[in-house]
Amino acid sequence: MMESLGIVFALAGAALAALMAGIGSAIGVGMAGEAAAGVVTEDPQKFGKVLILQLLPGTQGIYGLLIAFMTLTQIGILGGDANISLAKGLLYFAACLPMAFVGLWSAKRQARAAVSGIQLVAKRPDQMGKSMIFAAMVETYAILALLVSILSIFGIAGLNI
Amino acid sequence: MAVVPMKRVTIYGPQKQRKAVLEALQRRSVLDVQELDLQPYGFEKLETSAQRATFAKAANSAQTALGILNQYQPEQTTLFAALEGRKTVSVQDYDAFIGRADKISAAAARLTALSKEIAELNAEIVRRETQIQMLKPWLALDVPLGFAGTRRTAAFTGTFPEGRTLEEILEEYQQQLAQAAEPEQYAADFHIISTSPEQTCVFVLCLRGAAEKVETILRSMGFARPTVSSASIPAERVKRHETKIHVARTRIGEIEAEIAGFAWARDDLKLMMDYYSMRIEKYEVLEKVNQQRHVFSVSGYVPQPEAAALETELAARFPVAVESEEVSEEETPPVLLKNNALSAPVESVLETYSLPGKGEIDPTTMMAAFYYVLFGMMLSDAAYGVLMMLACGIALLKFRNMESGMKKTLQMFFYCGISTTFWGVMFGGYFGDAVTVISETFFGKTVTIPPLWFAPVDDPMRMLIFSFAIGIVHIFAGLGIKLYQNIKAGDWRSGIYDTVFWYLLVGGGVVYLLSMQMFVDMAGLRFILPPTAGTAAAALAGVGALGIILFGGRSSKNPAKRLAKGLYELYGVTSYLSDILSYSRLLALGLATGVIASVFNKMGSMFGSGILGFILFLVVFIIGHTLNIGINLLGAYVHTNRLQFVEFFGKFYDGGGEKYAPYGMHTKYYKIEEKNV
Repeated sequence: MMESLGIVFALAGAALAALMAGIGSAIGVGMAGEAAAGVVTEDPQKFGKVLILQLLPGTQGIYGLLIAFMTLTQIGILGGDANISLAKGLLYFAACLPMAFVGLWSAKRQARAAVSGIQLVAKRPDQMGKSMIFAAMVETYAILALLVSILSIFGIAGLNI
Repeated sequence: MAVVPMKRVTIYGPQKQRKAVLEALQRRSVLDVQELDLQPYGFEKLETSAQRATFAKAANSAQTALGILNQYQPEQTTLFAALEGRKTVSVQDYDAFIGRADKISAAAARLTALSKEIAELNAEIVRRETQIQMLKPWLALDVPLGFAGTRRTAAFTGTFPEGRTLEEILEEYQQQLAQAAEPEQYAADFHIISTSPEQTCVFVLCLRGAAEKVETILRSMGFARPTVSSASIPAERVKRHETKIHVARTRIGEIEAEIAGFAWARDDLKLMMDYYSMRIEKYEVLEKVNQQRHVFSVSGYVPQPEAAALETELAARFPVAVESEEVSEEETPPVLLKNNALSAPVESVLETYSLPGKGEIDPTTMMAAFYYVLFGMMLSDAAYGVLMMLACGIALLKFRNMESGMKKTLQMFFYCGISTTFWGVMFGGYFGDAVTVISETFFGKTVTIPPLWFAPVDDPMRMLIFSFAIGIVHIFAGLGIKLYQNIKAGDWRSGIYDTVFWYLLVGGGVVYLLSMQMFVDMAGLRFILPPTAGTAAAALAGVGALGIILFGGRSSKNPAKRLAKGLYELYGVTSYLSDILSYSRLLALGLATGVIASVFNKMGSMFGSGILGFILFLVVFIIGHTLNIGINLLGAYVHTNRLQFVEFFGKFYDGGGEKYAPYGMHTKYYKIEEKNV
């Protein structure tokens, strides 16, 4: 019984990564979208610019999906041998956590930077590049979390436990 | 390659020629006009804000008229209209336009008036419809609402709250009447006109002499006069409202037809907006012109290669004196960049950060090289790269008249596409693993295009180390530019203290790491540097660190303070560490493209290998990869910018230059052809 729990933990990890990072991005893109719509009511020509800023907090959800999918492939849910040990299952679970948590929080925070960036662009459209960088700074940490999760998942596959 | 050197050009001429000279300058569009205070010499400046306000108003009315026209008669545009660029207006057309300017102004005024009339008619329709709604309960009444009675009788028309029956009303009236002295004379005749849950509309008739008393009783029962009044019978009134509404609707139809009839004016209105924005620009410049009774003078910056030509042209055409001199030390001329075809497209990215400040070199060439490499590594899919090249290439070939900003952007993405293709081939990404998935699903055998170098998915550690290596090269290049700037400015000491020591410390540190067994194992490298190299590198790093401690705080005189500042400078090594780690996004984003692509490929292949499976695969494939290109293009663009702005520029670049903005014809819709004089 205990042995078969491995796959349960691994799947829980994958689900968590997609879930939390996805929630974060949904909240973030939503927030930025509200601000963007406000700007477009005043000046429809800024649509292209604010759309880019709105999309910035959306990447965390993609990263979450990426980690979830990689885990699903590795543990054999999508075909193959779905028999993994409890220890391995827990390892996969742990490997998914950075993306899950950092994804959620960084998307929300990045959204606030993006909202401010949208307001900046509303007043000074020429400062688009800078407003993008402010939001991109937050994303760095999501990328670092993604990196740790990816490297961990690849590493676990090679372990013999 | 560089920032174009500027010349300060000052033109003196007779007042009579002022208009002609300024117009010639506007057409040449090379002079960035500057304020020059010649008041002490008896020159004065014109105040033109009133004229500009008039022009702005005229331009605004053309814009409003255009908006109205587009609302009722939308313009036919294609999806690619933004790529087409401005049309050129020939001199004849322009002169013809000036000839019918009055007609166009009249058209604009008429359009505005028509739109106002439509708004008024719409308001009238709403008002009448409300009236009809209010009259509806009274439709059954066959006398006017305000009917007061005859010679002998008094009539009351009004409502009781809530829906009541005739019996209920009569009963209540009798109760109220019972308290009166002579109830007979207050007899009243009640008619119910209509009943709804909210109100009961009634018509009451009584003897004229009893009117006052009856009304008091009625009021105590909650009777109220109707909120709507009508001098005629309600049914007739409603009919009249309906007729008027119909008339208004017909009129709106006529007006819309008339507005549509103004379609001919669309292009003229656009040209009119351009015409007034040009005049506004001219009058803005006029404010900067120094004037005397007989002489005027205008001064500004001209790019050096253009200066001589401008001088010759002006001197040949007008009786003016043109003085051109070198820019002095105190002045900060505006910045114009000139680069080769490969790096010029990246100028716009540099511009979003900041143009080079005074004394700074133009980093575009260096930046462009890294830009394409970094972008390509992040997107790293050969098929996506080819798609980018095709899309940008076709657009560039098809729309030759494109605005230069748009052209540069497309050129940049075209070059990024080349780089993306290159790295895609190196890392083996063609729509992710589409080749493998398609061959397995539909042909039953596995075909794989092997990567030319290695697949990051199989060996992420190797890719990570490679990303860091690129990062170190990028950062060192930034330091190199700083060193070059220092040497160019003759400040070789700062060059050594601020850059060479860092080269020694960071470079030595990296080499030392490469000689450590532990690090080499961790990174999975296939080579290790001999221990002697490690020792030498460590020594060099030590020299660098010592140099930074000793000279980092050289601006302070106090030795203790200087040492403390130096130590703090050394702490800056952590920022180098985080800068280098930041390049791990090359791996992360590169993997993201590949893995998301394979997610979609796998999803598509889940429907099996039949015809239906193939169609569904195609649907998933197209939607999925479109999405993936969109997301990762945005990601690659944003993060390439970030690496340039933060990690690279952080090492040497401040910016702060002002953009060269020559006085010219900055129009929105048309280019006005130069007049041959």
